[in-house]
Amino acid sequence: MDSSELYHVKQQFILGAYKPLISLALPPESSPDYVPTLVYQARAHLALNDPSAALSLLPTDSEDVTIKATSSLAHYIAAATPPSDENSEAAEAALEELRDLIVEIEGDDLEASERDKWLVRVLAGTAFARSGEVEEALETLGLNEDNRASVEAVALIVQIFLSINRPDLARREYEKCKKWAEDDLLLQLIESTINLVTGKEGYSDCNSFYTEQLANPSLSSTKLLTARGVTRLLRGEVSEAKSDLEEAISQGGADGETVAAYAVAATLRPSKKGEGDEWWSKLTQEFPNHPLVNDVSEKAGLFDEAAAKFNVPSLPTVTV
Amino acid sequence: MSVMLTKFESKSNRVKGLAFHPTQPLLAASLHNGSVQLWNYRMGVLVDRFDEHDGPVRAVAFHPSRQLLCTGGDDYKIKVWDIRPQNRKCLFTLHGHLDYIRTVQFHHEMPWIISTSDDQTIRVWNSTSRNCIAILTGHSHYVMSAQFHPKEDLVVSASMDQTVRVWDISGLRKSTPNTAPGTFDTFDNFSTVKYVLEGHDRGVNYAMFHHTLPLIVSAADDRQIKIWRMSETKAWEVDSCRGHFNNVSAALFHPKHELIVSCGEDKTIRIWDLAKRTAVQTFRREHDRFWALAAHPELNLFAAGHDSGLIVFKLERERPAFAVYGDQVYYVRDKYVRAYDIGSGSDIGLLSVRKFGSPYIPPRTLSFNPAERAVLLTISSDNGLYELTALPKDAVGEVKDSSGDGKRGSGQSAIFVARNRLAILNKATQLIEVRDLSNSVIKTIKAPVQTNEIFYGGTASLILSSTASVVLYDIQQQKTLAEIATPPVKYSVWSADGALVALLSKHTITIASKNFSQHTLIHETIRIKSGAWDDSGVFIYSTLNHVKYTLSQGDHGVICTLDNPVYLTRVKGKTIHCLDRSARPRTITIDPTEFRFKLALMRNNYEEILYIIRTSNLLGQSIIAYLQQKGYPEIALHFVQDKSTRFDLAIECGNLDVALETARAVDRPDCWERLAQAALKQGNHKIVEKAYQQTKNFDRLSFLYLATGSTEKLTKMQKIAEARGDPMSRFHNALFTNDIPARIAVLRDVGLYPLAYLTAKTNGLEELALDILEVAGLSEADIDDVPSFGNSTLKPPPVINKTTDLNWPAVNDAENFFEKALANGALERDEPYVNGIDGAAAGSSALDDWAKDEEVQEDLPPEEGGWDLDADADEAEDQEQEQEQEAEEELGDGITPGVSETALWVRNSPFAGDHAAAGYFETAMQLLHRQFGVTNFAALKPLFLTVYRSSHAYLSPISSLPPLQLHLRRNPEESSPSRFLPVASRTIQSVRAELSDGFRLVSGNKLPEAKAVIRAALQALLLVSVSSDTEGKEWRDTVTLAREYILGVSIELERRRVVEQDPENVKRNLELAAYFTHCQMQPPHMQIALRSAMGNFSKANNHASAAKFARRLIDLNPDPKIVAQARQRVAAGDRNPRNAVEVAYDEFTDFEICAASFTPIYKGSPSVRCPYTDAAYLPEYKGHLDPLTELTEIGLGSSGLPAP
Repeated sequence: MDSSELYHVKQQFILGAYKPLISLALPPESSPDYVPTLVYQARAHLALNDPSAALSLLPTDSEDVTIKATSSLAHYIAAATPPSDENSEAAEAALEELRDLIVEIEGDDLEASERDKWLVRVLAGTAFARSGEVEEALETLGLNEDNRASVEAVALIVQIFLSINRPDLARREYEKCKKWAEDDLLLQLIESTINLVTGKEGYSDCNSFYTEQLANPSLSSTKLLTARGVTRLLRGEVSEAKSDLEEAISQGGADGETVAAYAVAATLRPSKKGEGDEWWSKLTQEFPNHPLVNDVSEKAGLFDEAAAKFNVPSLPTVTV
Repeated sequence: MSVMLTKFESKSNRVKGLAFHPTQPLLAASLHNGSVQLWNYRMGVLVDRFDEHDGPVRAVAFHPSRQLLCTGGDDYKIKVWDIRPQNRKCLFTLHGHLDYIRTVQFHHEMPWIISTSDDQTIRVWNSTSRNCIAILTGHSHYVMSAQFHPKEDLVVSASMDQTVRVWDISGLRKSTPNTAPGTFDTFDNFSTVKYVLEGHDRGVNYAMFHHTLPLIVSAADDRQIKIWRMSETKAWEVDSCRGHFNNVSAALFHPKHELIVSCGEDKTIRIWDLAKRTAVQTFRREHDRFWALAAHPELNLFAAGHDSGLIVFKLERERPAFAVYGDQVYYVRDKYVRAYDIGSGSDIGLLSVRKFGSPYIPPRTLSFNPAERAVLLTISSDNGLYELTALPKDAVGEVKDSSGDGKRGSGQSAIFVARNRLAILNKATQLIEVRDLSNSVIKTIKAPVQTNEIFYGGTASLILSSTASVVLYDIQQQKTLAEIATPPVKYSVWSADGALVALLSKHTITIASKNFSQHTLIHETIRIKSGAWDDSGVFIYSTLNHVKYTLSQGDHGVICTLDNPVYLTRVKGKTIHCLDRSARPRTITIDPTEFRFKLALMRNNYEEILYIIRTSNLLGQSIIAYLQQKGYPEIALHFVQDKSTRFDLAIECGNLDVALETARAVDRPDCWERLAQAALKQGNHKIVEKAYQQTKNFDRLSFLYLATGSTEKLTKMQKIAEARGDPMSRFHNALFTNDIPARIAVLRDVGLYPLAYLTAKTNGLEELALDILEVAGLSEADIDDVPSFGNSTLKPPPVINKTTDLNWPAVNDAENFFEKALANGALERDEPYVNGIDGAAAGSSALDDWAKDEEVQEDLPPEEGGWDLDADADEAEDQEQEQEQEAEEELGDGITPGVSETALWVRNSPFAGDHAAAGYFETAMQLLHRQFGVTNFAALKPLFLTVYRSSHAYLSPISSLPPLQLHLRRNPEESSPSRFLPVASRTIQSVRAELSDGFRLVSGNKLPEAKAVIRAALQALLLVSVSSDTEGKEWRDTVTLAREYILGVSIELERRRVVEQDPENVKRNLELAAYFTHCQMQPPHMQIALRSAMGNFSKANNHASAAKFARRLIDLNPDPKIVAQARQRVAAGDRNPRNAVEVAYDEFTDFEICAASFTPIYKGSPSVRCPYTDAAYLPEYKGHLDPLTELTEIGLGSSGLPAP
């Protein structure tokens, strides 16, 4: 059982309240919560794509495996975003560090709780998944292992499956997990994520999940607003989605995801002419690495290629 | 209400609080000694107990949907427990109350817990954040209970301050999340007292809302129960129920009926009629005062806690009285006899029996007489009554009541025994009266045994149920025909053909033949509720929690589990018809395969077995165990999926091929060893070889090669041994292959020079021998004392028979009916796996597996399967790596990416817009090209990209992972992947709106802009998907309209160009003005065209034509000013009906306008068309780019808009 402080930290992390989480004061170093809280804060930095902040937070001389794993992940993210050739060596080195850690925690002579070991696997799995090593990530996260005890690992597996269009496998993992972690908040998140992809019952589950969490008085996260906005977008409630996303942006949550979702909503139901394009250019300027931007520019190339296959005849010349 | 059926009772310390689990048969009881018990009242066992509270626990509640329990005690603590069996524990504790906690309750949808305390407050907690989110203050004494309203944002509370209060908590739901825990300043905004109900003279112990009506019931120490009514604005006392003679602890509304249940310290539970406010029934206990009461939310179950334990009881029997005749089920619901037709599903009320016996008790049994269409009912009230009534022929109009023409009498059990006879049992006198339809006694029989119940026993016979036996009794002869010892029989069910009868007791079923000559007895640990015969002669029965079957010889098994008991009426194929606890007809679909299969096995009906194997997904350990036990391992093999079981079975029935296949899959050394042994027994050395190879059993392998005379492989083994650096193995192999130099080499390598020398010597290899000597540092002289041996003749026997190429005659597989049938049938019948509809792939996959085995047998690689024998050491390692790779590939196979949503979109839609949304631009272009002849796509690029980017959203639910791509669907409610379509980012409506913008520009005389807008609309229309034919038509109309406008605008622009650049060319100017009026535009724009034409024509002195335009203009009802102007033109035309300039404009012949040259194409003249807009062109423009839209190639063939 977590102490209630750690419980809140975890809750904030899961629900994406990264900024409030970062601004929390750390417990005293002697507290058993110290390391987990530190790791959560570092991970929150990573989630905000700020690996250097995460690294400055983490002691470099720590023997704790979770701290080591978190810094390796931070190194990896720092080196691999945006992907570039110069940094590929550093990225690969970070991955190797994580691989070593995995080997280390599998050995018996390491003094780390099961929970820490799983956390290391989760962090390593995150890096592997980011680097596109799907199989390695799944293996690290203990797919096919029966004694999995980490909902976070399941969450990662589920998202990996979803990202390769296997909601069936994702759901299977979720069902398995449900047997031993029924009331977990993260499990509810997993379920809602699966439903976001499959659209079960008109996305009603995800909608009520995010609505419920938005009403959670112990934290406020613009990420939840964005998530509900996206859910509503999926549900076809474009104007409601817009209002959620607007609120998220006004509360300072103007991250790539929110802006991208808003651009979609504005294109579908523009409140004034050209609103969609306006937001789209905002997105391309402010978040040039957002996957939607990359995807669309790739598609643009594709378009030109495909269009070039057709012979365009000339306009008729009219002589009257 | 003379019935109060106790279901369960427990002894314990005083029970202060009770709660039913909403779905499982669990009851939580909180005790005065601090313990919380969790009972399974159905099984009667204590499931668990929680002992973490100090002092009495008064409050207990289950979560309505989650596996959570909440308790509150005199230690001021509220605890929330996880009650899942594997981890029952306290999840968290809520601190805050300053005195004893009286009640707790979970909210039905919000994560809220409400609690009341002696500290005079009611608190609401958020169970997610574990914070107190509201404190309701106002009561001036202990708050004894508080409950949420089942639907609205209301709370009702009862207090020792003699009031009942209703609170409005809607503010709580709306309030913005309170981020800082511990700031309670704004509580008063959250909730307000709505009503204060005063009327009780003493403290109030309990109050609750009615489930549906705006009513409140309260129980108080003034010994009264009060009923209150609320409206939107006020609440007032309705009435009181007086009768308790001490404090009333609790009073509940009955969840289903108009009743109130109450209990009190006067040691009674009382039932009240809600409408009449009169006592219906009282249940008294000798010594124990009642403290707590709970009602099950769904079932007819109540629990009451008293000084020394608790009781669970129900108020009425649930088993509906029913009888089945053919496809008709006659049954009683809410005191109406109804007929339910299984075939048609019609369910109609036929007869009211409201006045029969006590109004609160349903009839107990129903017997149906098909000849007279009469029913015979019994009821247990008034010490047993029966009533005989004919059912109306047709249920038209008002349903009549049986009191009119029903014939009644007293008796405990009554049935029809013949068309015109009924038998009535009187338990007290033990007399059975046989009566005719006019209810007069024909005959009286003294029961031969103590009889509690009588059943139909076949023609002129009765089955008498006694305490320890059933008796078959002949009415005519008045004698006992047969007797079977059984526990007391409660119900009997005859099979359709009347050959078998099932006699149901509490825990046993006796299946007897009709003359009781044969019978079997089945024991059940769970209470048996009902049963019905399947058409094939299998008895299906229901217990409290299962539907089961039994064959007549006693084999039985589970078909499915039940959440709640049902009463089976009829079984037809896969459907069980039954009545549920509230006597509503229901059906349950079952899989009858298992019992059909067993039945077929029992009857040796191989065809049927085969059919079942083929078509169903019969699986599971039980059926395998069953088959093994019954001696059919080879059939069992067909059902097993699990590889290791399959291996065991294959070994057991000697099917090596399957064994090999499964051993490969299992790939464990012990399997290979067992396979090797089994194969050795059958003499199949190839499989033995394979198995040895897999386990790397080099010694045995070598010996096997020796035994089969496979010299080449022995040579290879030798190489491998060398590579492995195993001298013993090398030596063996050298010996087996008679390879003397190799043998010597081994000996030399290990330093056994003497042996090496002698081997060389005795085999005549003198030079080698000398060589060895030299290496050993000796000369021949040193070994003089070694005796000289003759040449060795030792060598392996020569290979006579090339056994290695042959498999020895194997033990013939016991090829039985099934093997043959399964092997051949697939070819003959050409319908091998016909179960695709049910999706029952398991059965067929078993067959597939089996078929695969067949193939494997044929192309089993004879030798090189396991590892390459040519391999030298390095390659052996390679092999291992290869195996690893294979393993990885398998892992890879398991997680191949699935079909993406966008691929589904493309698959599901023939519309280019949907393909573009999916990002499949190339297919989208092909579609456009095919459907509309589009060839110039450049202009469509922004459109394509916009459509694409507005169909996808990204979200990263998990930190630091790349975000998930989500896809916006057109219909979020759609659940079938075959109908998933992308969101419609461009719709006909949106394009029409754009078009109207264009039209407005036309009116505003901004023609170039208008043209651009209309052209953009035409481009957008290409990416619109339609969902119906009407929409398709609308789409086409829109395209046509847009075309007319763009054509008109183009003509007008051309005219203006002509006017500007070639002002002399009046003819062309007029022609174009005239053509403009022939574009099918909306009246306002047509007016513009006509006015322009009219003006230009009159200016050119073509008054006749101008007048015609003016007339057309007047027809359009324009502004009066314009009418006046037009009339002038008409008048001028009448005065001067001539045209000064000859123009090519013949309004009397239908014509279209060539959209390139803007010249008329008269009807009948050749033309080519734009494949998209259908605009007409002169033939000479064929093959050019359409100038209107600049998208299509003129004259290209196209298929048009596809059907949705």
